[in-house]
Amino acid sequence: MIPILEVKDLVYTHRVKRSIFKPIDEFILGPINFALNAGETLAITGHNGSGKTLLAKSLVGAITPQQGSILLEGKEAKQSDKKTRNHDVRLILQHSKYSLNPAITVGSILNQTLRLNAELNEKDRKTKIEHTLVKVGLLREHYYFYRHMLSDGQQQRVSLARAMILDPKVIVADEPFAALDPSVRSQTVNLILDIQQELGMAFVFISQNLGIVRHISDKVMIMDKGKVIEAGSSQAVFNAPQHELTKKLIDSHFSLVDKHFEQF
Amino acid sequence: MPLLDIKNLTVEIDTGSEFVKALDKVSLTVESGEIRALVGESGSGKSLIVSAIIGAVPDHWIITADRLTWKGHNLLAMSNEQRRIIMRREIAVVFQDPTSALDPSATLRAQLEESIPEEFLDKGMFWQRNKQRREIAIGLMHKVGIKNHEACMQRYPHEIATDIAQKFMIAMALVSEPELLIADDSTRSMESTTKNQILRLLSGLNETKKLSILFVSHDLLAISSMAHTMTVLYCGQTVESGKVQDLHNRPLHPYTKALLDSAPSFQINLPPKSHLVSLQGTIPTLKHLPIGCRLGPRCPNARKECVKVPEQRMVNQHSYSCHFPLHLPIDEQLEKNQ
Repeated sequence: MIPILEVKDLVYTHRVKRSIFKPIDEFILGPINFALNAGETLAITGHNGSGKTLLAKSLVGAITPQQGSILLEGKEAKQSDKKTRNHDVRLILQHSKYSLNPAITVGSILNQTLRLNAELNEKDRKTKIEHTLVKVGLLREHYYFYRHMLSDGQQQRVSLARAMILDPKVIVADEPFAALDPSVRSQTVNLILDIQQELGMAFVFISQNLGIVRHISDKVMIMDKGKVIEAGSSQAVFNAPQHELTKKLIDSHFSLVDKHFEQF
Repeated sequence: MPLLDIKNLTVEIDTGSEFVKALDKVSLTVESGEIRALVGESGSGKSLIVSAIIGAVPDHWIITADRLTWKGHNLLAMSNEQRRIIMRREIAVVFQDPTSALDPSATLRAQLEESIPEEFLDKGMFWQRNKQRREIAIGLMHKVGIKNHEACMQRYPHEIATDIAQKFMIAMALVSEPELLIADDSTRSMESTTKNQILRLLSGLNETKKLSILFVSHDLLAISSMAHTMTVLYCGQTVESGKVQDLHNRPLHPYTKALLDSAPSFQINLPPKSHLVSLQGTIPTLKHLPIGCRLGPRCPNARKECVKVPEQRMVNQHSYSCHFPLHLPIDEQLEKNQ
C-alpha cells in the first residue's frame, strides 16, 4: 500500500542576521522522515520553539524546504505545483479566530476557497458549501454569518469546513484544540474522529495536550530543537519512551494523572 | 474566619442598551492556607471575578455583593488608597496573558526591582540598597525556576518566551510575600514539564509559607493534582463547589459531570479513538443569556422547572445549585416539587 503522505529527509534552515557584529542565528529543522497511511493520525508534540509549526508549514507548502521531498500518494509534490498542493493538503491554523476574514461572511470565505481550487459553477458551489457546513455541525444559515457572530467552537468548525471542503487527502492542524474550552474541545475531537472515519483522510496535528494526543493519534512524533527525537506508534511511545526528553514529558504528564487517581 | 469571602457577587455590564448580569450571585471563599480552584470555560466570568476582587472594574459597571471582604474588612466600602495598600502587600495577582501584562517599555530587571517593597531593604546604608535589590531579584528568579537570570534580566517582555514570562510574573507576584496569590490561567500554553514545575512551586509555597492560592483555570488535570477545594462556574453562575475529592467522586451538577468526563486523561478504560462525552452546543454569549438556570438549553436533564434560578443547597460542605441534582432520582424530585 502506498502511503498517502510521505516525507523524506526534509530539511529547512532558517537564518536571521540581527546585526553585523553578532553571529547568525540559525535554526535547522530536520531531517524529518515519516509516512502516513489513509485514515491514520499523526501527532506532533514537543517543547515550545522546537519547530513544530515550521514542519506544519512546510508540509502544506507555505515555506520551501531546502532539501528533501514530500510525496503525495507516491508522487512527488513540487513546490511550484500549487494547484494539487492546495487541493490535497489543507492547513488549520493555530488561532482559527484570526485566520478567518472578519469582513466577509462565512459563505464567502468558503466560496473563495472553492472558486480558486475547484471547477464548479456557482450553484454547485453553494450546495457544496451548505453540505460541508452541515457536515461540520453548523447550520445552512451560517452561510450568511460573519466571524464575530460565531462562538469559539463555531469558528473552529468554520476553519475545519474550510480545510475539508475540497475533500483533501491530508489535513494538517496546528494546535487545533489549545484555545478551546473542555466541553467544546471534546465536541471538536468527536467531530474530527467522525469525519476521518467517514472520509478516510490522513490527519496530522500538533498538540501539547498529551491526554488528547494519546487518545486520538496512531503515531506520535516528539521534536526538540528541530530534530525528531522519537517517533513511533502512540502505544509504543507512551508505554515505553526511549529518549530522555520523551520520558520526562510523558512522566510529568502521567505524574499529574497518577496524583489525581491517588487521591481517590 | 475566611481570608477572602465573597457572597452573592453580581456584576452588571453596560452593553449600550441594557445592563447584563455577567456575574449572577457568585459565592466563593478562600480560607487561609487553602488552594482553591476556580473552574469554568472562557466567557464564564472567571477573570471578571478576579477583576472584581482587585477592583479593576470600570466605574460604570454595577457591582453589588452581600459580602466582599478581605480578612473581615469590606473591600467595596474601602477608599482606593486603602484598597491599593492591600493589593500591594497582601494580595498578589498573576494575570492571564503574561507578555501583555508586563510593561513593554522596561526591562525585566527594572520591573522586578521596582516591585520590591522598601521595607525589605533595611540592611546597610542607602548606597548598598541597589545591590540588595539586585540580590533579592536574582533570588526570586531562581526560586521560580529561571536559571539563567542574567540573560533574562536585561531583556524586554517581547523578547522572552511565554513560559518564562509566566514564571517571571509569578516571581513579581511573590516579591511582596503576599498572603493570597491569585493565579489567572497560569498554566495555559505550557508543555507538561514546565507546567509541573509551576504547580510544584505553587504547592511548595502553599505548604512552607501558608500561602493561599486562588487558582483560576480550566485545566482539570492541574487542578486535581494540587487544589484542595474547587468552585465550578458556568456563565457567571456558581454551579457547584466543594472539596476536589468530593466533586470528582460524586459530582452533583450535570455540568460538573460533563466537565470531568470530557477530559480523556481521567478515564483509564477509554478505548483510543472513541467518542468523548460532551454537552451539546456552546456557552451562550452575554447578549443571549437564557433565563433561569443558564445551563438550561444544554442540560441533558432539563425540565420546565429549570426556567427558575435554582437555589444554592448544601450537603456536607458541598454546595450545588440545581433543581435535579444527580444524586437524587428525577421522579422523586418532581414529586417533591409538586
